[in-house]
Amino acid sequence: MKTASQLQYGEKVKIDNIDCNHPSSRRIIEIGFTPGQEIELVNKSVFNDPLAFSVRGTVIAIRKNEADCIQVK
Amino acid sequence: MNSQTIDKTALITLVGSPNAGKTTLFNHLSGRNFKTVNYPGATVEYSVSPLLGKFNLNANLLDSPGIISLTPHSPDEEVAVRSLFSHPVFGEPDLLIVAVDVSQLSRHLFLVKQLQQCNFRVVIALTMTDILLKKGFSISPGELGEELKCDVVKIDGRTGKGVTELIDACSANLEKIKTDGKKEIVPFPGHDNEHLIESYKEIETICDRVLKEIPEEKEKINLKRANARLSILHPDPLAKKNCYQVDKRTLKIDRILLHKFWGLIIFFLIMALTFTSIFWVAQPVMDFVSNIFGFLADEALVIIGNNWLGDFISTGLITGVGSVMVFVPQIMILFLILGLLEDSGYLARGAMLIDRPLSKIGLNGKSFVPMLSGFACAIPAMMAARTIPNKRERFLTIFIIPLLSCSARLPIYALLLAFLFPGNMAWVAGLVLAGIYIFSITNSVVIAAIINKFSKRIINQEDNSSFILELPAYRAPKLKVVYNNMITSARSYLKKAGPVILVLSVAIWILTYFPNYNPKVDAQNHTQDEIVQMKNAERLADSYAADMGKLIQPVMKPIGMDWRVGVSLIAAFTAREVFVSSLALIFKVTGEGDTLQNSMVRAMNDARIEDTGQKLFTPATIAGLIVFFLFALQCLSTVAVSRKETGGWRIPVLQLIIFTSMAYMLTFITVNGLRALGVA
Repeated sequence: MKTASQLQYGEKVKIDNIDCNHPSSRRIIEIGFTPGQEIELVNKSVFNDPLAFSVRGTVIAIRKNEADCIQVK
Repeated sequence: MNSQTIDKTALITLVGSPNAGKTTLFNHLSGRNFKTVNYPGATVEYSVSPLLGKFNLNANLLDSPGIISLTPHSPDEEVAVRSLFSHPVFGEPDLLIVAVDVSQLSRHLFLVKQLQQCNFRVVIALTMTDILLKKGFSISPGELGEELKCDVVKIDGRTGKGVTELIDACSANLEKIKTDGKKEIVPFPGHDNEHLIESYKEIETICDRVLKEIPEEKEKINLKRANARLSILHPDPLAKKNCYQVDKRTLKIDRILLHKFWGLIIFFLIMALTFTSIFWVAQPVMDFVSNIFGFLADEALVIIGNNWLGDFISTGLITGVGSVMVFVPQIMILFLILGLLEDSGYLARGAMLIDRPLSKIGLNGKSFVPMLSGFACAIPAMMAARTIPNKRERFLTIFIIPLLSCSARLPIYALLLAFLFPGNMAWVAGLVLAGIYIFSITNSVVIAAIINKFSKRIINQEDNSSFILELPAYRAPKLKVVYNNMITSARSYLKKAGPVILVLSVAIWILTYFPNYNPKVDAQNHTQDEIVQMKNAERLADSYAADMGKLIQPVMKPIGMDWRVGVSLIAAFTAREVFVSSLALIFKVTGEGDTLQNSMVRAMNDARIEDTGQKLFTPATIAGLIVFFLFALQCLSTVAVSRKETGGWRIPVLQLIIFTSMAYMLTFITVNGLRALGVA
């Protein structure tokens, strides 16, 4: 299963599912990452972590391990 | 008395996600200018104000910190949510105004839905409609209002257009509450993830219905006109319009500012510029202030005469207070830069850039803002740590904050460095000060790493470390907001430090002037000036301060200092700045036609250790003092806030013991080490 942490710069994908076992999953959903939403990896920080995604009209930075709970198509 | 029933003043709370334009709205409604916080979750203070008189509505408006949902994830959100339901001072709100950024409609309606589930009566204020328009979309407030069964008003943040309609809607709602009664507010049920996803789906269908694409025709004409004016290329006509397109300029800037190489370079440049400008830019202003106080102290002596009253006014009051006032320009510059960085949106990027390195030593990217504020003052810095969700990372951040060189230490370093590098060597002082700052950062990081290593067992490993942060669109900082912020910060610094310094100045003056206030000296063959000098010395040697000082002499001797420095160091435990004013008092500094700082440096040059006749202030002891101030936790307010923020005495007591004993030991090593190396 591909997750958001494996995206390339500028790659646009649709979210398939959120892994609800991840302790941050709740906040990830609340902030707008829900199944069906289109996200794009817009930036990476130094050391490639955290990652910045555009979602629902804003840019959200999350850590790589948190991006791992976002499964994408 | 008039028997008319007086309406209870209604409470309207302003709610919204971070960066929804809430504070701008607050400023329009209250007419007072408050800080617009660009860094998600940084508002910890509440601003409250009666509505502007022109609105003719008897209500108080409370600005609340930005929240994403009603399920808190960090202490600041916890406070925000709890006080939304029942504010400790103002109670339960009658009505909520929810600021909703239309360019991120679905995310912001998410909060509205949750608030409505708790039976809050809401009025929605739509902000950033101009951004939506640029994307080629429009929104009908009426339709959205029907969907959500509440009043919706469009607001223009810049001009304040729509504010009157918003007030009308509020009055109407408050009237309705009077006739229909108020629904009982119920706690938020706390949905599971499934529910949250469902809720978003519902909102999406609403968004699809209310967001309307502006017909091509009109847009084409606009585009043609724009193209003619700007002669730019026609955008790809096939590109599908997207109302959730993020600001392209912001993405481009981020490409550079978050770049692996350039991002880091710029980050360090910004930090370096911040700290060097504190010293260099402020210097001329400081000289000016210093001159004024030097002049005043002289004049006071001339006018009142060289008696106890003249001495009290001149050294006790003017010099004591002046020695601290001198540093206000530096503090203002620091707050100015912090404000600019915050309002432009850079702070969130800074946090993202250093999240990874900081997480290696048990901190979090979100420790960045508290740490940076720590260079201004530890108190707001510790409070800003509330944005860190993980308790352990938060405590560790609070723990190391006192090690960062706060602005109260600037006066001390500035004086000590002016002593070491006088006159045309001042540029070296600037460099060394930058070095001190870098050293204080290194210290805090190393100590955090050590504590992190050793305290693994005490820490609950199940605590989830998390970094989720919105990167707001870049914008030109609103100068008025930044300016107000700077003035407020400087004023609150003076308010906090001022009274303490005044009281301690007077206390130290009394201790150094009595009981032998009019000593007899052999006046033969001496000039008037020499007699004054001898009297001063004699009076001080017999003073209460000297008696007290002799008790601590054994502690001061190993670090090459005498009781006079000891008294100043002890006084500085109430607040560090006091060190300078108490030195000024003890060494009887007066202006003598020079700047205050120069005369202090001169007095320090003349100071000798009584029993040995050695110079008291030498490069070795000055370096030792700098080291002492780098580590020692000398601030009562910091201890109090640390206790409050960590919910116990353990952390503040540990901080006090560890940092202060470290300070003493390292000072001992520095002074004696330098002496062994041949540096006097």
